[in-house]
Amino acid sequence: MKLTFLIACCVLFLGFPVAGFAQDTPEEAQPADSITTPIPAPPGNVTAWDTENDHGHSVSLSWEPSPDDGTGLGNVIGYIVFRSDSPDGPFVDRGVQPAGASGHTDVGSKEEASQDYMADYVDYYYKVRAITADSLVFAESVMVGPVQSYGQWFNTGRIPVLVFVLCFMAITIFFIQKAKSGANLFVRRLAGIEAVDEAIGRATEMGKPILYVLGLGTAADIATIASYTILGRVAKKIAEYQTGLIVPCYDPITMTVAQETVKTAYMDAGRPDAYNEDMVYFVTQSQFAYVAAVNGTMLRERPATNIYMGKFYAESLILAETGALAGSIQIAGTDEIAQIPFFVVACDYTLIGEELYAASAYLGREPLLLGSLKAQDYAKAAVIILAILGVIAMNVGLDGFKDLFYISN
Amino acid sequence: MKRQVPLALVFIFGIFMIIQYFIPHEKSEWVYEFFLDWIYIIGIFALALGIWSLIRVSYDKIKYRRPNWQYAAITLLGLFFMILFGFDYGRHIFSAEGLRNYMFVSFFDYILIPIQATMFSLLAFFIASAAYRAFRARSALATLLLLAALIIMLRFNPYFGAVTPYIEKTAGWLLNVPNLAAKRAIIIGVGLGIVATSLKVILGIERAYLGKD
Amino acid sequence: MKRSSIIIMLVVLAMFVISWLAKASSMAGVEDHNIWHGFLITFSAFLTLAILSFLYKDNPFYKFAEHLFVGVSAAYWMSMGFWTTIVGNLIPRISNSLSAFFEVPPIADEWALLLLPDSVTFFIPVILGIMLLLRLSRNMGWISAWPLAFIVGSTAGFNLVRYLRSDFIEQVSSTFVPLLVDWQGTGHFFSHLNLNASGQFVTMAGNWVIFLGVMCGLIYFFFSKEHKGIFGFGSRVGIWILMVTFGASFGYTVMGRISLLVGRLTFLFGDWLGLIS
Repeated sequence: MKLTFLIACCVLFLGFPVAGFAQDTPEEAQPADSITTPIPAPPGNVTAWDTENDHGHSVSLSWEPSPDDGTGLGNVIGYIVFRSDSPDGPFVDRGVQPAGASGHTDVGSKEEASQDYMADYVDYYYKVRAITADSLVFAESVMVGPVQSYGQWFNTGRIPVLVFVLCFMAITIFFIQKAKSGANLFVRRLAGIEAVDEAIGRATEMGKPILYVLGLGTAADIATIASYTILGRVAKKIAEYQTGLIVPCYDPITMTVAQETVKTAYMDAGRPDAYNEDMVYFVTQSQFAYVAAVNGTMLRERPATNIYMGKFYAESLILAETGALAGSIQIAGTDEIAQIPFFVVACDYTLIGEELYAASAYLGREPLLLGSLKAQDYAKAAVIILAILGVIAMNVGLDGFKDLFYISN
Repeated sequence: MKRQVPLALVFIFGIFMIIQYFIPHEKSEWVYEFFLDWIYIIGIFALALGIWSLIRVSYDKIKYRRPNWQYAAITLLGLFFMILFGFDYGRHIFSAEGLRNYMFVSFFDYILIPIQATMFSLLAFFIASAAYRAFRARSALATLLLLAALIIMLRFNPYFGAVTPYIEKTAGWLLNVPNLAAKRAIIIGVGLGIVATSLKVILGIERAYLGKD
Repeated sequence: MKRSSIIIMLVVLAMFVISWLAKASSMAGVEDHNIWHGFLITFSAFLTLAILSFLYKDNPFYKFAEHLFVGVSAAYWMSMGFWTTIVGNLIPRISNSLSAFFEVPPIADEWALLLLPDSVTFFIPVILGIMLLLRLSRNMGWISAWPLAFIVGSTAGFNLVRYLRSDFIEQVSSTFVPLLVDWQGTGHFFSHLNLNASGQFVTMAGNWVIFLGVMCGLIYFFFSKEHKGIFGFGSRVGIWILMVTFGASFGYTVMGRISLLVGRLTFLFGDWLGLIS
């Protein structure tokens, strides 16, 4: 009895840990490489076509995600796109997309010397591979092709731009014709431009010159072109009043145009003898060197009026503050939105953005320029109407209205 | 002839660049890149014109002993030495040629960069003086401008304790809502102005840049 | 020259020399050519202080720095333009012998414009450039308008379409914002009544401000109608919103400008005087 009890105790004493060990071990004891990742289903319905509205060297693909992407086995982590110029391969990796993706654009280089060069009018073949966390486990789609890439001759994605260009041209030409026929086109007063006459008068009384800064734009910048017209008007008045004019230039081509403009203005005013080519001179094409020189001119020549019209950058505040320190009246106009606040704060009069372009029409009152200004106003009215229509469309669920303005690339 | 040819050139190249925008084909891109290269090359000749103007004005100042003529001599000396070092090729003044010339690089590092950076740093003083003068203006619009500026400036200030989150939120709202609205209005106006002026230039209505016949 | 000016100049010269020698000796054993480098750093510090002296008033030191800057920078851009554009872009296309002289590889024709090789077509900008230089001639100066016409016309065409897209079409379509929301109860409507949350009320109010702000801003820029009556009211609202924008831009740039000054002071106190490591 005692022996049986002793044996039973030994069995119990030894058996429990053995049983516990036997229970714990199966999960720990199995080697990791015996667990295999199941092969997912491949992506389906792969299609490839030449990418639209581009310069060529690009093919777009789409596919149905693998049934095991997010559902089913849920082991698909992404897709790799492969390309070959032969159906027998070799296929090269042309990009990766994450899980859930259903499209890819294979963009190659147009440079023949580049390693990524993708020739046009060459047959290409594609395969899409669904990949898992295990690099050896994947599923490839059926091969598609041949597909060729080539450039298009018209970008249909930019049709809205074409429509607006034609509409704007039509409006402008209409109002110019109307202005030519003698219609009276009203333009409201612009305080900054009306102050120019007053400022020129002040300079004449004080016997001090006027400093005109064309800005740091190139000769072809629209703000600089608008500034030439204003310079012409100002120079003509200055010639009539026989006041001095200083025009330091940043861009050498701007300098040649400004010289021509001022010379013409002096001739129109009947004072060709008073024109001196050194009135308009090149300083340097370095931003802060130019500003340093203009600052020096302001403090030494002490102009009665400073006029800043054109494209300005960070130096705008340095110019305006130095002019204020020198005690000059300052009139500024720029289309650089970041610099307008500084001119507003530091100058006596500021032409904000579009007012700079309107100033040339306002000063000369030429019918053609006034007609163009009218066209701009009608375009703004069209913007207001379109915005109201767009907002109404959005609120009643007509999202298609906004799509009319969508430009693809 | 003197007027017609430039106006015709403006029209042809203007219309070409508009049409080019709608043609994505490579050949159209290549022509566009050609024209860009041409503009850069012509720009260098124009720079030579500008340098000539600078030399002439400085020389006249020295010749006729105009006020501050001594400094015009400094300009010419600086110009001369920098061109000497910059165009150095095969003579190796101090060291390697072209833009790697040691003196050219030293002039850039120890003259151009310090002065440029210092000019830029003057803005710190000028922005304070501009704000002060705007405050003195005492108009409602100037006050509104300064108030908005103050809120944005205080946005990054950690010293206001419990009030800071509200300042941050107000500043964030100011930047994302009314600021966005006004900027959009200005951008639309500027965009229309640029389009209208470009059209006037192409059609030959705006021709001030060509001078008189 | 006044005696006080001469004394000031001599004092500045003496301080320059002392600073130079002190800097050179502090760099001895650490750098080769310490005297030359010491001179360069001292000269940079002198130019920095000369420009800063402008804040007090115009003076000979500022004039010296300004005129030196103008001359050196003009020549710098001339050299850069020559080596990067003429030697880097033009010469490799038009002349193999010049390419060999300047040791730059020739650039192969990508595509022939007008079926002519680059070596011919790239003479066109050279000819246009020479036409521009004829500006200096009294009789032939009129021909400088041709290259100008090419540049202005190309840029005008380029700008027209691109600004129409970015500054007009895309801005207009971004203004189509929802002004009304689906009513889901008062609690939902007034949830998150703090300014940067995405609660319905805040979003809707923001959209109304954006929409009306854009409209009033555009009304302000109307030129062909007098700003009176309701139009004048819209214009006044527009200028108020513009002022808020200008103030926001002003405040936003202050930090950046102060950091520029900090950079310069770091150079003076660190690199020059050695007071900051």
